[in-house]
Amino acid sequence: MKLRLWAVLALCGVACAVAPFIGPGFSADTADFIFWQLRVPRTLMAMLVGGTLSLVGAVYQSLFANPLAAPSTVGTTAGATLGALVAIVLGARLAPGGLPLITAAAFVGALGVSFVVAAIAAGRRVRMNDVVLAGIACSMAAGALATGLQFSADSAELMAATRWSLGHLPQVGYSGVLLLTPFAVVTLVGLLTLTRALEVFIAGEEHAESQGVPVRRVRTVAIGLGALGVAACVAWCGPIAFVELIVPHVVRRTLGVSRRVLLPGSVVVGAAFLALCDASARVVLPGRELPVGVVTAALGTPLLVYLVARGRS
Amino acid sequence: MTAGLTLDTVTVRARGRTLLDGVSLRVAPGDFVAIVGPNGAGKTTLLRVALGLLRPDAGQVRVEGRDVSGLKPGERAALLAWLPQRLEAAEPITALEQVVAARYRFPESRRASETAALRALAEVGAQDFASRPVTELSGGERQRVAVAGLLAQETPLVLLDEPANFLDPAQQLELYTRVGHLWRAGRGLLCVTHDVNVLTHARAPGTRAPRVVGLTGGRVMFDLDYDAPDLGEHLGALFGVRMHSTSVDGHRVFVGLPRGGGAP
Repeated sequence: MKLRLWAVLALCGVACAVAPFIGPGFSADTADFIFWQLRVPRTLMAMLVGGTLSLVGAVYQSLFANPLAAPSTVGTTAGATLGALVAIVLGARLAPGGLPLITAAAFVGALGVSFVVAAIAAGRRVRMNDVVLAGIACSMAAGALATGLQFSADSAELMAATRWSLGHLPQVGYSGVLLLTPFAVVTLVGLLTLTRALEVFIAGEEHAESQGVPVRRVRTVAIGLGALGVAACVAWCGPIAFVELIVPHVVRRTLGVSRRVLLPGSVVVGAAFLALCDASARVVLPGRELPVGVVTAALGTPLLVYLVARGRS
Repeated sequence: MTAGLTLDTVTVRARGRTLLDGVSLRVAPGDFVAIVGPNGAGKTTLLRVALGLLRPDAGQVRVEGRDVSGLKPGERAALLAWLPQRLEAAEPITALEQVVAARYRFPESRRASETAALRALAEVGAQDFASRPVTELSGGERQRVAVAGLLAQETPLVLLDEPANFLDPAQQLELYTRVGHLWRAGRGLLCVTHDVNVLTHARAPGTRAPRVVGLTGGRVMFDLDYDAPDLGEHLGALFGVRMHSTSVDGHRVFVGLPRGGGAP
């Protein structure tokens, strides 16, 4: 087990290191610029986003004792999409700056919806299943509003909205990385400090409470921190599909379910996975970049199906 | 200050039904109180109220003299340990990890928690499967690990909810023998069951008898020693049968018979 842990860690390290080198070749005079100004920040961005999304996914799965729980379960993704759409529909006319406005709106939308869910989760008599239900209801409401907006949008706005909702890693250089880093760090550090409490959650929240875990506080903090981190990621990159769902399951099946391995493992594997997916997106259609969300689903789904099938036999 | 657990005229209502109706009960350290009663009598509700997971609509629950709903989770976990009907881990963690979780309330290092957990596992003879996933253990082995968790939490009071429900007779015997050890180590025990006969496994020759509290319709019908001569009559009235008390190898056991008499 120890050996396997180190092997996975080493593999992830190599993947992250190699990722910027993957892609169509470039001529000598532009090489420095492309490598240092485009690919390295992109890889760093992918690592931050991948690590954060995966950890939040792993924490939500532990918290809700539900293997399908994900940031989208508590409305984060739907809220971000709604915010971005509002910005695209309004902002296309108001702000020529474009991207930062959409990012800010997506962030506000994601936080807004998930804090409604977190507030519900803070209630005294509320059980985890109620929180999941509330999250689904809020997601649907935000989704309906978003669809209504799309209906009233013109074709250029629709195209921008569709592109945004596919999930992509933007060409942002180091400024985007620097902006995202504090959110990612707060989320990662905050959630990892909950590891001990989440270990106790495995036998159910009431039992955890009887063993001394302040259940309401833990779940409010976890959902709040998760929403913060995911909102920041989704704001920059759009809803990148499957990462937060697949990575924790891959870690579970390769390294084990112990929360002390699963949570930090998800950060490392998630970072490497998204960096690699982003690099592959450059290779599949040279010259035209595939949205990374498409690659994560295309690569992640077979991997997960394989692991599930192997586990059954 | 009164040591132990005290329920003082506790009433719980939910959706127009009265689940507990003015229940008063005391479990002092060293007491073994068994709550018996038919299904739906309010036994599990009583445990949940005692644990502070449910707030009574009237009356008060005090642990070591303090209102249970005013205690922080950590303070409560230092006083009360709970074994639910079925303790099921959602994922295949190891037996050791499950017992380590019971040490959450202690501000100690991981290593210290593991040492204490291993000691608790050894005490119930479960050290051999410390590193096995709990989901792969048999029902009896799982309950042994659960008892190790109760030990590791180091509380003066232990609440058990039909701990032998899914066990075969040999495992039931083993479990209640261990429960008896917990009791004789000085803990106060509150144990919900609908089978009084298992209590005889918890006794050692020459020790005090457990107390049996009959509950039905959310009310306490009787509170008697296991050795009380009229316990059979009361149990019969509680379950709506004729309860005949007999002795097997010096153990008092109760046999339910149809009300109309007939069978010997």
